[in-house]
Amino acid sequence: MPDKDHKCTCSEQPLVPKVVEVIDIIDRTPDVKSFFVRNVDGNGLPFQVDPGQCGMVSMPIGEAMISCTWQEEQEYLEFAIKRVGLLTDELHQIEIGQQIGVRGPYGNGFPVEACKGKDMVFIAGGIGLAPLRSFIKYCFKHREDYGKITILYGSRSQADLCFKEELFDLWPKESNTEVFVTIDNAEPDWNGHVGFVPAYLEELNPSSAGAVAVVCGPPIMIKFVLQSLEKMGYNDDQVITTLEMRMKCGIGKCGRCNIGSEFICLDGPVYYLKQLRDLPPEW
Amino acid sequence: MRVLNKAKIETMLNRLSADNDVYVPMLRGPGTGFFSWKSYDEDYDELVLDRLNVFMPPKQIIISPAEKNNIDLMSGGAGASKKIIFGIRSCDVQGINFQDEFFGEKEIESDSYHGRRDQTIIIANACYYPAPSCFCSSVGIDPLHPVGADIIIRDTGKEGYVWEACTDKGELLTEKTADLLEEKEVTIPIPLPFALQVNFDGVSEKLADMDDHPLWGKYSEACQTCMLCTYTCPSCYCLDLQAAHWRKANYEFSCFDSCAYKNEALSTGGSSSLEEAATRFRNRFLHKLRFYLQNYGKPLCTGCGRCIAICPSGASISKIIAEVQEANL
Ligand code: FES
Repeated sequence: MPDKDHKCTCSEQPLVPKVVEVIDIIDRTPDVKSFFVRNVDGNGLPFQVDPGQCGMVSMPIGEAMISCTWQEEQEYLEFAIKRVGLLTDELHQIEIGQQIGVRGPYGNGFPVEACKGKDMVFIAGGIGLAPLRSFIKYCFKHREDYGKITILYGSRSQADLCFKEELFDLWPKESNTEVFVTIDNAEPDWNGHVGFVPAYLEELNPSSAGAVAVVCGPPIMIKFVLQSLEKMGYNDDQVITTLEMRMKCGIGKCGRCNIGSEFICLDGPVYYLKQLRDLPPEW
Repeated sequence: MRVLNKAKIETMLNRLSADNDVYVPMLRGPGTGFFSWKSYDEDYDELVLDRLNVFMPPKQIIISPAEKNNIDLMSGGAGASKKIIFGIRSCDVQGINFQDEFFGEKEIESDSYHGRRDQTIIIANACYYPAPSCFCSSVGIDPLHPVGADIIIRDTGKEGYVWEACTDKGELLTEKTADLLEEKEVTIPIPLPFALQVNFDGVSEKLADMDDHPLWGKYSEACQTCMLCTYTCPSCYCLDLQAAHWRKANYEFSCFDSCAYKNEALSTGGSSSLEEAATRFRNRFLHKLRFYLQNYGKPLCTGCGRCIAICPSGASISKIIAEVQEANL
């Protein structure tokens, strides 16, 4: 496997986390918080990320691979983290000024170059918007390189919608851009769309001509969105998704995250559907 | 020929232990494995140089999992000490060659795995009498000439061990111990043929279309998830990393893991790509017979036969390969 380099640049020893300081915490939803970190000495970042890459975030009780948000000005790293288990529970209790461990960057990231000139259709559910948000921000930063941008985002309820400021204020103002938001069930003070993402997607039916769809969300949503995209005429090389696998080392050595001969931490997590079709059906 | 008299084995091991940690096959308590000669206690331990396939292959000596505070499983650094693995067989040397290939890859070369590996000397014991479950010759391993050994010893019975240095490292060590070796001509034994032959030809290619084959369900149904196959396999290297808080300090350590465990791939939210026993089973055999080969050009198997001898439900790699060969697709 000699041509597959792990990309971790934060430390001499590939598995040793770098201690960073949490400089800000933003509540995104009742169970999602964004953590902003930078080096303890206040100078710079432990590592730089490309859109779609991840970092391993650690506390004394363990580590987890978390998507890291791409920033235009690389002054801090942002991890948007949903409270779902032991580690994230502890993370949600920390306060500004505390220290945590990070190492990275890991993974291949989104094919931002290959998508240039294409119409972009971003489809996300729940916390799945976090990784896509990096790509979306990147597109807006290089607006002239990409065609029409369509963003479709859904979550269980209004309260669970992440990144509301961007969804409702910032992104809709961008040129040649449409943002659609849906929630699963009707709520009294919600005037927007109600329903599941795949059905809404088929209703909106963004043209597949010259387009690339990027999908991230809960596995069940991904499954049905992929079916919908196929119905709508998207080929397997027009669909990109990111895989979530259990990861331990991040450098292709622990064997945790394999699907076939691929290690998701090295070769993924971003894949074209066409590539996934060649792998055993574990994904 | 240089020959080590059997009566001098312990003297030799003591001599080698002066500068090195020497790991030798021993029967200790109910099990056999490679243990440090320094810990040898003649009341409890037995040196078992003639034992084929001791229960636990010496796969943990270089990568050293579960070492407390071993934050970096591939780090050499301070923890690296001079080691000798004495009496290791061809198949287990190949296990170490796999580790070299996998953990020693260029990207983590820095100080890491190589720090440990470079300080390790391998003294291999040539095999003349394969066990019924041995099939190393089927994976291209020569039991008489272990590739990767620094010194090879050959058991000639009463005459003692023929001692052959194969590398500079081995030559150097031989010079230092020359006074324990005598120069004489002895008869080398005639090797017995292998009872078990396993045909790996075309297996990898055929497996590409066997994801849904009933074979995985059939064998995994009987699997008791005891993990002995992965635990005793010299080439299974999958690791877990764990964090622990112990005596007011935080540790991160690595330990061997097994892909047969349901939890191995348990992700946030409770989903697991290896939920089904059949999927886990398939993933393990495909890793050995196909995925590793796709990345490194050979199957991840040393033919030691431990998994065949040990599996309580009789799911042996040789049977599985035979079924793959016979499968009509
Ligand atoms: S996380 Fe260890 S191999 Fe990918």
